[in-house]
Amino acid sequence: MIEVKGLSKSYGKINAVDSVDLSVKKGELFGLLGPNGSGKTTMIKMLTGQIKPDSGSLRVHGVDVLEAPLRVRELVGVIPEQETPPSFLTAEEYLHFVAKIRKLEGYEKACEQWFEFFDFGDQKNVLCKDLSRGTRQKLMFAQAFLHEPKLAIIDEPLINLDPVMQRKVKDFLRGYVKNGGTIFISTHILEIAKEICSSIGIIYKGKLVHSGRMDGPELEDRNLEEFFLELVGQGCECREQREQLEMQAREKQLSKMSA
Amino acid sequence: MFDIFKSMMKEEWRMHSSLFGHSGFALFPVFIFLFTFFVSLVLPVFREIVSDAGIALGMHYFFLLVGGMVGAFGLMGREFMNRRFGQASLIAYSSRTLPVSERVIFLNFLVKDVVYYFILYVLPFVAGFALAVKFVLPLLVLPSAAGSFKIPLLTLTLSLSFMIGLSVVFFLSTVYAHSGKAVLAGLLLAFPALLFASGNFNGEVLYALPGLSFYLAPSETRQLLVSAFLILVPSALSLIFLKVDYPQVQKDFSNSFSGLSTRFGSYRYAAFVAKDFLDLKRSEGGLGKIIFSFLLPVTLVWVLLSALGNVIPALDSLLLFSLVLGVLSSSMYNWLTEFDLFASYAFLPLKVSDVIKSKLDSYAFLNIVPLVFLFGLGLRTEPYTLVPSLLVFLSISFYMVTVLVYLTGLYPSVNLYNGKTFALYALSIVPVLILNIVLSILSPYYLFADLALVPVAVYLLGKSFRKWDGVENPQF
Repeated sequence: MIEVKGLSKSYGKINAVDSVDLSVKKGELFGLLGPNGSGKTTMIKMLTGQIKPDSGSLRVHGVDVLEAPLRVRELVGVIPEQETPPSFLTAEEYLHFVAKIRKLEGYEKACEQWFEFFDFGDQKNVLCKDLSRGTRQKLMFAQAFLHEPKLAIIDEPLINLDPVMQRKVKDFLRGYVKNGGTIFISTHILEIAKEICSSIGIIYKGKLVHSGRMDGPELEDRNLEEFFLELVGQGCECREQREQLEMQAREKQLSKMSA
Repeated sequence: MFDIFKSMMKEEWRMHSSLFGHSGFALFPVFIFLFTFFVSLVLPVFREIVSDAGIALGMHYFFLLVGGMVGAFGLMGREFMNRRFGQASLIAYSSRTLPVSERVIFLNFLVKDVVYYFILYVLPFVAGFALAVKFVLPLLVLPSAAGSFKIPLLTLTLSLSFMIGLSVVFFLSTVYAHSGKAVLAGLLLAFPALLFASGNFNGEVLYALPGLSFYLAPSETRQLLVSAFLILVPSALSLIFLKVDYPQVQKDFSNSFSGLSTRFGSYRYAAFVAKDFLDLKRSEGGLGKIIFSFLLPVTLVWVLLSALGNVIPALDSLLLFSLVLGVLSSSMYNWLTEFDLFASYAFLPLKVSDVIKSKLDSYAFLNIVPLVFLFGLGLRTEPYTLVPSLLVFLSISFYMVTVLVYLTGLYPSVNLYNGKTFALYALSIVPVLILNIVLSILSPYYLFADLALVPVAVYLLGKSFRKWDGVENPQF
């Protein structure tokens, strides 16, 4: 579903994405993990043709993204990092607006189903600018799946959602994949990946430092958090810092005792 | 008290510089200075056809309008800022969280606007003009020429005009907060009255603007008192009857988008045009914006020009008006783009040029309002110049908006206040306008030359689409 080779993108001197090779197969729920500013959003913007890479190639849904970015966005459902529906349309009007842009027929019923699914039918006549951030995230979810895409690319899927909705979304994503769909999510919350992803990639300072299945050998007898921290260098630093602090405390105690 | 004023000044500067970039925004007053200086260098030519009093008249009314526009932006710009920065938390809206009364905050807001925009607009304008007068007028043979423009006095009276415009708009906004319908009804009644009276206005009525009167006859200190009255009384009334309408009230609307977009037809951008229409209707001021920010200034311009036509017979009021109308109409593109971010569409199968094209469609729809206005006015006043007037309006409006699109893309309200961009904009527009004025004096039919602007505009549009599609991440 997604084939990326030698993908690079820099902003000035910063390498946002650096020579990344990545493959996501049909039916996978892939999680791109990484600390803040590691290149996850840049990666998603390139996958959906919103920005162009400096080098490398990308194919999404069998389409060359560089050649036909609009075709990719026609086929794929995308939830961006920041929910920005137009201020002066109501929630319902926004879904109808997206349906018209996507040239869908008979979309009214699907819209109603989404209001029901996320339990915000009482908010459908409220202007988007007056909706809470959580409700806006629900709305963005609905717009991404309105055309029933085979692939969805989601930047931080559970952001702003309450625990009940988080559970619902996780179940929905699992069911979606079970029914033949493919999901690519990016997140810095490891718990989400642990719970729902079938495979993961870890990106750090623009480089893909790990890619594999959740049940792969690397994670067989290890905790994902430890594995992640080690890969992004923080595991070692944390340990060193802790040891240093312990040593300082011991020295202080000794000097007190000797005094 | 002074701390709030200082913080508001800082906030205003940071808000602008974050929008336009420090250097870009700092260049803006420099550009006004240079622009005024170079335009004023042709004063000797102007003085052949317009008296010094006529030039002073134009300058004072211009600053009256600038004051009104600054007031309108100060009060209506919140939505724009919210869109730009998320939930913008400006000091002006912080009386809920700070132990300061709304009146004190509003008073500071008023004083801040006066001081800030005096430095930004009035001072560079007067400085540019003063420098040009110093260079140009002593070269003329007229011995009294240099003395006829009194710079310190001009600084004072232009500031007075600016403040009158500002305080009147503040007052109107206070009345609007209490009863929007009353203001709209008043304005709707004022239009026909002004239009009816416009043919009978003569120069004397226009010269009654107190700042201008005081400039022309400084011995009449009564005019100074009238100016003070017109500034202080509306401001004081605004403070006394202040009503703050918090924006957090949730608004519900039944679905009118679907019906509207169906009515706009099945063409490609119908959904966008319907959305733009709802944006205008539901944003602050509603459709009243068209009356308040467009038809009212346009009517005032007509009154001014028809009086000027009486004073200077060489100028054709309707032709000049259609020119100004074309310029003012292009500001409607700002309204249409004000509440949109491309980020709202970037993940959909759309290009930047698609959104720009949809905005141009909405712009064409909105242009029906000034077109009907001009048509009605032309039929009533000067049917013999109606055809060239309509042509001037349509070609100038089209040309202006394409220049705006080319230079600023989807963000005219942001990009145009970059000093460099504004300079390019002025250079593309001013020569065309001056040429139009000259041609209108020679013969109305020379204005058919404006047809040449159409292919230029079409070429520029094609270039604009390619330019903005190629700009990465064109969002703020």
